[in-house]
Amino acid sequence: MAHAPEPAGQTHAADAVASVVGLKVHFESRAGRVHAVDGVNFDIRDGETLGLVGETGCGKTVTARSFLRLVPMPPGIHAGGSLYFHPHQRCSHCLGAGCAVCEGTGRLPVTCSACGGEGCRACGETGVKTIDLSTLPEKELRDIRGNRIAMIFQDPAKALNPAMTVRNQIAEVFYQHRTQEVLERARLGTRPNPLLRRHAAQRSRLIERALLALPPLRMQRKRVERVIDDMVASALAETQIPNPSKVMERYPHELSGGMKQRVMIAQALACNPDLLIADEPTTALDVTVQARIIELIKELQSRHKSAVLYISHDLSLVRRICNRVAVMYAGRIVEIGLTEEIFANPLHPYTRGLLAAIPGRSHDRGQLVAIKGTVLELIDPPPSCRFVERCSYAVAVCAEVDPELEDTHDGHGVACFIHNPPDMAVELPSFSKLTS
Amino acid sequence: MAVEPAVREPAVAFAGGLGIRLRRFGEISREVLRNPTTLIGLILIVGMIGMAVFAPLLIEPNTPNPNQMPRDWGALNEPPGTPGHVLGTTQQGGDVLYGVIWGARTSLRLSLIVVSLTVVIGLIVGSLAGFLGGRLDELLMRLVDVFLSIPELIFALAIAAVLGPSFGNIILALAAVFWVKYARIIRGQVIHIKQNEYVDAARVIGDSGFRIYMKDVLPNSITPVIVQATLDMGNVVLIGATLSFIGLAEAGLAEWGVLVSQGQAGISAGRWWASTFPGLMVFLWALAFNLVGDGLRDILDPRTESRR
Repeated sequence: MAHAPEPAGQTHAADAVASVVGLKVHFESRAGRVHAVDGVNFDIRDGETLGLVGETGCGKTVTARSFLRLVPMPPGIHAGGSLYFHPHQRCSHCLGAGCAVCEGTGRLPVTCSACGGEGCRACGETGVKTIDLSTLPEKELRDIRGNRIAMIFQDPAKALNPAMTVRNQIAEVFYQHRTQEVLERARLGTRPNPLLRRHAAQRSRLIERALLALPPLRMQRKRVERVIDDMVASALAETQIPNPSKVMERYPHELSGGMKQRVMIAQALACNPDLLIADEPTTALDVTVQARIIELIKELQSRHKSAVLYISHDLSLVRRICNRVAVMYAGRIVEIGLTEEIFANPLHPYTRGLLAAIPGRSHDRGQLVAIKGTVLELIDPPPSCRFVERCSYAVAVCAEVDPELEDTHDGHGVACFIHNPPDMAVELPSFSKLTS
Repeated sequence: MAVEPAVREPAVAFAGGLGIRLRRFGEISREVLRNPTTLIGLILIVGMIGMAVFAPLLIEPNTPNPNQMPRDWGALNEPPGTPGHVLGTTQQGGDVLYGVIWGARTSLRLSLIVVSLTVVIGLIVGSLAGFLGGRLDELLMRLVDVFLSIPELIFALAIAAVLGPSFGNIILALAAVFWVKYARIIRGQVIHIKQNEYVDAARVIGDSGFRIYMKDVLPNSITPVIVQATLDMGNVVLIGATLSFIGLAEAGLAEWGVLVSQGQAGISAGRWWASTFPGLMVFLWALAFNLVGDGLRDILDPRTESRR
């Protein structure tokens, strides 16, 4: 649901896996305060793919990175708002394999511990465990990262450590989050040797490593390694990498761009996360490889039913894979709704401009349409609509008041006075009259 | 306008990391063989370290302390070629050949201790400053600036002089001077490497800060330290010899600087050998490590690959 403005900490939709409520991320710079993300509200529903589109610098990457608190502070400032997240846990009936109870996802929602599912203030009346990612202690956040929320980066060539084999990079996720499962699968009993336990979490010190290299621990250590090898290989196999057991011994520079992105995806999905954040995952790839990676993400998404936050500036791509689309402009969400709705019936002038700018739609070959003007400076912006200077329909009120994102119908939200007139007796903008 | 501070320029410098470099060991050795100056340096190093390690087999060790020069009071100022004294003797009757061979042992000891000590100190200080940043970084780097503002030879000289003349104090003095360079290098590298996206990617999968440092940052920032350490294996001996030349080591120590200083009085009288041979050794030692260090820099740094 698109949100009407609410005070932070209030209710959010029950079927949402994550809710962004009034998020504000600013950056301190010499010229002033940059309002990179300025009051963003949206929900990501369980199992859906939400596209976040907008031009460079509109704040979509900062919004995405805020989920995992990756925005460096300073110079970044968390200026307000919350990021609510409902973490799931591994299904206890099938141990993550997928069964009828968890509807094949291998994940189950966790009941709120404060109210036992009744709904209380702590969980925002949803009855499921709710955490605020913006205030969670770093240590607990680390349990969420890579486990419940994963991320794929734009350029896989830069996101893989050049000095580590593929196997070790993917194994890292299991070391961090699946220690117990590794020990169980290595059949080391219910109370394994503390040395091995530490080894499975990669916490061994130098002396311990020396001890583990000697019999009898050596055999058990080998068993742990083999289990991890298997887990890595099956994670790679998920992404349709041919010959995974061979690929995992390679270094990133020995792989092609598409292969590297598959490795990244394998690492991100290794723990069956509730939310996958994909920050322009195909921008750095060839067009042909792009198509295959998109298909892969689509397929894995439908199999695991993870929610995906897909960040892109490529509208045709977003149209292909997203259930819903949120359009961002200058640190605000200006329009949000179902993909078909947005593309068939764009409400915001900016969205209309974007769609008109897609080559080969409604105009002659060889002619490109652009939105006039440039993006507003985000340093201490005025309280006007962010799009006012580029908007063909703008009237006086647009330069004085910033429209809020409000629902029009069926969850299609827009921040524009054309559709949501203010409670004032002023001249209203309309698509029927062009100004300027 | 572009407010995406987390996305920065890709790492260009030393982006390869040690892991791949080690894997390419065969390739590296082939490149060494193709580069004649590095090869010469390597041969010299192997020869001199071999000499140091096998010194007791090459020449009878002096008793009780093999690090002291033997004295042959019956053969003072003998020229090279004298039976029993191939490279001649000093004016105290010390065998120059003994000094050359056992001096290599002294030099190896000196350079290994000083370099490993300074690398460790520099790694710790530089990593703390670079990885944690903030006020600690300011504090540590100002301290480093203080050390760097004094010329290293003069600084080492002052410390050794205060501590009193002994070889152990030379080691301490050199260690106190040389660590700052490593702190600088490592800090720069760490700051550079930690901006890489794979560090963010490691945070995304839930790694702790320490683990990210050990797994992602350190292995990818260590290469220039290896180059600098190789160069310093030579520099340390050069400055160490300078300090013992002006009398900051024990007299009679089988050390090249001490021998040069003992022999210099005889040069005007035509007894050139007592200074020349140890001096030549200092020169060859420094040269060899500098040649190899430069060669390593060219091979390990991908930016210079096109030059050859």
